[in-house]
Amino acid sequence: MPSLTPHSPANEFPDGASLWPEDLDRREFIKVMGASLALAGLGSCGRASKALVPYVVQPGEIVPGKPLYYATAIPVEGYGRGILVEAHEGRPTKIEGNPRHPESLGATDAITQASILDLYDPDRSQAPLARGHAASWSAFEGEWLERRQVLLGVDGRGFTVLTEPTTSPTQRREIHRLLDRFPRARWYQHTPLARYDSDGVQWDCDPGAADVIVAIESDFLHRHPAGLRYARAFARRRRVENGGIRANRLYALEAGWSLTGAMADHRLPVSPAGLRRVLDAVSGALDGNATDRDSDLTPDERHFAGLMATDLRLHAPRVLCIAGAEQPVEIQRWAHAVNHRLGGAAALERAGGAIRSDSDPRSAGGLGELAGAIDRGEVSTLAMLGSNPVYTGAADLDFGRRLAAVEYSVHLGTHRDETAAHCRWHLPESHYLEAWSDLRGFDGTAGIQQPLIEPLYGSRSHSEIVRLLADGVAVSDYDLVRETWAPRADGADFEEQWGRWLNQGWVDGPAGGAGRERGTGFQPVLSPNPGRMPVPRWQTGAPARPSPTLLFRPDPVLADGRGANNGWLQELPRPFTALVWGNALQVAPEFAAERKLANGDEVRLEGEGRSLVVPVWIVRGQAADCAVLHLGGGRSRGGSLGTGRGANAYAIRPQGSPWEIAAISCVKTGGSVELVSTQHHFTMEGRNLARSLNLRELPRQARDPGPAGSLYPAWPREGHAWGMSIDLSTCLGCSACVVACQAENNTPVVGKEQVARGREMHWIRVDRYFIGEGMDTRVLSQPVPCMHCENAPCELVCPVGATVHSSEGLNEMVYNRCVGTRYCSNNCPYKVRRFNFFDFRAPAESTVHLQENPNVTVRVRGVMEKCTYCVQRIDAGRIAAEKDDRPLRDGEIRTACQQACPVEAIVFGDLADPQSAVSRRKREALDYALLGELNTRPRTTYLAKVINPA
Amino acid sequence: MKTEPELAASDRIVDPSLTVPGVTATISGMILDPPRPKLWLLGFAIGFLLVLALLAAVSWLFIRGIGIWGLNVPIAWGFAIVNFVWWIGIGHAGTFISAILFLLHQSWRTSINRFTEAMTLFAVACAGLYPLLHLGRPAYFYWLLPYPDTMGLWPQFRSPLVWDVFAVSTYACVSLLFWYVGLLPDLATMRDKAPSLLGRRMYGVLALGWRGDGRHWSHYEKLYVILAGLATPLVVSVHSIVGLDFAVAILPGWHSTIFPPYFVGGAIFSGFAMVLTLVIPLRAMYGLKGLITARHLELMAMVLLATGSVVAYGYFSEFFTAWWSGDEFEKFVNANRALGPYAPAFWTMLACNVLVPQLFWSRRLRRSVPVLFVGALLVNVGMWLERFVIVVTSLHRDYLPSSWGMYIPTFWDWTTFAGTLGLFLSLIFLFVRLLPAIAMSEVRSLVFRKGKVS
Repeated sequence: MPSLTPHSPANEFPDGASLWPEDLDRREFIKVMGASLALAGLGSCGRASKALVPYVVQPGEIVPGKPLYYATAIPVEGYGRGILVEAHEGRPTKIEGNPRHPESLGATDAITQASILDLYDPDRSQAPLARGHAASWSAFEGEWLERRQVLLGVDGRGFTVLTEPTTSPTQRREIHRLLDRFPRARWYQHTPLARYDSDGVQWDCDPGAADVIVAIESDFLHRHPAGLRYARAFARRRRVENGGIRANRLYALEAGWSLTGAMADHRLPVSPAGLRRVLDAVSGALDGNATDRDSDLTPDERHFAGLMATDLRLHAPRVLCIAGAEQPVEIQRWAHAVNHRLGGAAALERAGGAIRSDSDPRSAGGLGELAGAIDRGEVSTLAMLGSNPVYTGAADLDFGRRLAAVEYSVHLGTHRDETAAHCRWHLPESHYLEAWSDLRGFDGTAGIQQPLIEPLYGSRSHSEIVRLLADGVAVSDYDLVRETWAPRADGADFEEQWGRWLNQGWVDGPAGGAGRERGTGFQPVLSPNPGRMPVPRWQTGAPARPSPTLLFRPDPVLADGRGANNGWLQELPRPFTALVWGNALQVAPEFAAERKLANGDEVRLEGEGRSLVVPVWIVRGQAADCAVLHLGGGRSRGGSLGTGRGANAYAIRPQGSPWEIAAISCVKTGGSVELVSTQHHFTMEGRNLARSLNLRELPRQARDPGPAGSLYPAWPREGHAWGMSIDLSTCLGCSACVVACQAENNTPVVGKEQVARGREMHWIRVDRYFIGEGMDTRVLSQPVPCMHCENAPCELVCPVGATVHSSEGLNEMVYNRCVGTRYCSNNCPYKVRRFNFFDFRAPAESTVHLQENPNVTVRVRGVMEKCTYCVQRIDAGRIAAEKDDRPLRDGEIRTACQQACPVEAIVFGDLADPQSAVSRRKREALDYALLGELNTRPRTTYLAKVINPA
Repeated sequence: MKTEPELAASDRIVDPSLTVPGVTATISGMILDPPRPKLWLLGFAIGFLLVLALLAAVSWLFIRGIGIWGLNVPIAWGFAIVNFVWWIGIGHAGTFISAILFLLHQSWRTSINRFTEAMTLFAVACAGLYPLLHLGRPAYFYWLLPYPDTMGLWPQFRSPLVWDVFAVSTYACVSLLFWYVGLLPDLATMRDKAPSLLGRRMYGVLALGWRGDGRHWSHYEKLYVILAGLATPLVVSVHSIVGLDFAVAILPGWHSTIFPPYFVGGAIFSGFAMVLTLVIPLRAMYGLKGLITARHLELMAMVLLATGSVVAYGYFSEFFTAWWSGDEFEKFVNANRALGPYAPAFWTMLACNVLVPQLFWSRRLRRSVPVLFVGALLVNVGMWLERFVIVVTSLHRDYLPSSWGMYIPTFWDWTTFAGTLGLFLSLIFLFVRLLPAIAMSEVRSLVFRKGKVS
């Protein structure tokens, strides 16, 4: 592990050290300067207290300019996901998926990509705070030793620990150890997000094995700890290869849009009440009495229920029902019961109980129970580790007020957040790239989380703090993790196995637990077993005149709000709205028309005695009587970027029903705010841009002929011809590519005001177009990077030749030569060029520069920039091949967007090689060039989206 | 020589009461004993304040960057290019009047050519600022020039922006030369008339030793014809190339073969409108109604009517081509101009540029000074809007609806525009104060010849 701590200028002087005292006169100044001179001379007489080692003999594995990759794991809602982290001279810069980890398969999502920026967040907590004032670790340790003695004397009565649910064996072991040491202490767990076990069972599935999938308010392809694995398996069944496809069919029932819903062949926008009616009708149809409650349904619902029930019966047992983790237990039961009844071959039931600690028998409950304990005066000492309950707690708990009643409170967190402000002690927590830990994936695969860098600031990790609280002595997390795993090693040679686990990023052998060998931990639900689990029925009446339902959902990129201070995430356009830097209440056009609302108009939401003012954003294809509000906005202490962005959904979120308020009043206030979106038109205006076709038309599909030949001879081609193919059939529109590109190419964050002026800098964007009406409303997602046109319109018009064509077909941008006429952008029909209207670089002293890729130029004010096909990666591949004296292999060079993509929708390679993956893809009949009629001859082409409706 | 028919008093291009010494006295009197000096001072002060605003706007631009303007992606060109094309267009009237009308023996040009040439120079100076200011990195503007550098780098000659550099700089040089050569005899007159030593010295140096010698006159007239011949193609080339800046692009709304001739027509149209806008107050202020007669104004109104028709044909042709081509993008751009968010600009443009010139079919309205003045102002506005419509409405909604955007000019956009108006105004005021605004020698010869005829 490289242990070079980068220079961090922010830490060099204490605050205010450089300020000149106002009352300093000339004499005083001379005195100070004289003393300084004398002391500076004395200083050279002393000896450095620590040995400084010059970098004369470099460590074996570190070669300047050559990145190193380390396998580690990132916590995703507590579950582990294997990643590889690129480090330059000991400085982690980029995160990639670990291809050998089952929960990554080489892919990443946007949040994982952006987590590298959190490491260098200048707003990170850097020192312990005692009642808001900077203090030292030893001060805390000394105080705790006394407190601990008192607690030991009463067996830990009043001692309470609050954590987030975790899969880490070490963290759980340490907490259990603490509970052993303090027998009357209590452990509570809190997450504002969903839990993934119900009725004591953690369900898993293999979407690739199902012919018909029903997603009930479930975003299992995107917002799920196993989402990358699910999406990969799902995409396998949606990809056309050699003209053939073994397509599955996806039904989605949901009130608002999810990325999974956007992939559905049939999608029913439906309110929670309507959902129960439809499921009930499907249950009836599965029982054979199709008509018993059909009269309650709207024509759309009846049609949808009929199709779905028929398809489920027809394709049993190769069917799969997935209910969203946010759904109430009865909906979950319905899905599981249907899986059981129809013998869902794709559904897996975990035998050994849940993997995450939600239902740990030693846990005393959640935040509600903790609040009750505080009210009963049972909590005198509260340690909140890695959780932010003051912000994420339900409104009716009013946790901040309750926290004030606790005599002694300690908070461990990466930021001085809302909870930190309410505590006696705030302790800085290490970023996951700075700490040793271990995590289990959703499928149970264990992996060691190894740090890439020593803590940048004086932070400590979760398990270190638990040990400190329990024993009063500091033990390093490295020793704690090894303490967990040494007894689990298979045979005697622990060190050999430990090395292998770290190297590959997951724990193999029996120690690794259930996960790695598929099917050992999870049992497929194979035989039809209707008796084991009856399909629940609801007694629902006909739809009454509904008052709107408010649905809470995690933000697609900020999750519960923890990503709020991450500029990449804040500036990542949210799916379906393209909103950045803030959330909005998403409503259907009918909903808005009824209340005369336009985008940005504020409404007052009132429900269960609380109210919230929030602007609306109109989204087609949403249930008309539902409004969707994302969590994660409106933070009061979210850091310099995250504070006050959007509305705080937690302010009206009830503890009892955290995901919906069944009846809410929604009144226009008359106010209006500017919501900032990167896309203003969501229809194609009759243009054939993002193309889709029905599976049945596939055999008859003729290749798009493209423009006729040219009068001029073709440009001679030599060597490689780089090209890209993007498959719209599998693209989820998850935007992992956007953040991956931003991380790879040092793309700046420009801020809300600049995005409002249309100056966002993303080199690849995801365009979204709504097509169809009513129940047939679809969203087509289309990632658009630079097309690298062979007849590039931008090259023709540049007066200084700053954008030129390479012999391998790259449309290259020479930043040094650019004078900034911006004519190239005007002439680019794809509008993929981005201009540095201001100096968008972070301030020179900012720590975020440590993240930058040293192989990519950071652009100055006044120059144009755009996608380069990751030319630095092409060159790295070429150099590696030349050193080995071998030709470049297909797939050896992967662009950042391609590497991140969970569904392998993006393929990059050499068009001169007819056997390359990209050449094969471009031979499909579905291949077409965006705006090909302009004869720009783009090197990036698309495969039209295939939909498979019944 | 053909005998000219007897003209009504109002049709004369020179007041018959004028004498040769009277002409010299009137015109040099504008400088030596200026009437209404306070009015001049007021006008110049307004212009100069705006120049100071321009200085502030440009300084801030260099400090902060091009982002202080309302530009974005997709609308990467905005006010800077709109104003550039507008000013260049205004600069067309001068050379048209001086060169083409000279070659066509239109003797009515004599009393307005000096003034319009000066206007041309100042308009080109204002125009020339914009391409430099609108660069992302203005310090490197010279990379557009073909100079031998050690890296062997040249401009990219396929880009119309490079052609623009040549076209505009050539035009500026030839216009300056033409104007200065024409000034020589008058500078000598001023040298002889100037009461102060400083004046005599300055005009004397500028007059390059002109003594009114026969050989001087012979060389002078040959050179003047040659320069007129050189300047004539430039009238066509400059705005054709400015038109090509747009026509070469593949952007719907720009990619149009009609652009070069349509731009030239529009340029002369806007240039004459600006001449009228300036000349009408000038002749009132300095009492030049005998030199710049109603006949002049009427003739200029006729040019407006003719070139306005060219512009109207251009509009019609764009719409027709869009419809006839069946190209969905072209059709959309034209529909969007008429019905989209910038529709008010489009309809105002049509009213100013197509409807207003129709007034000048009427002889009575052509001779009404207030109507002419207001009409010319409206044409100025209309032609500015035309450039706005071409630049902005084409860019703001192009091929991919996902990338559509809006352009909202900022305070600094407006300040820069107002600043160049101020610069133009200041230069005009300085010009009429320091140099003979009407070509004395040419008018004298006209008066002399007319006198002989009658």
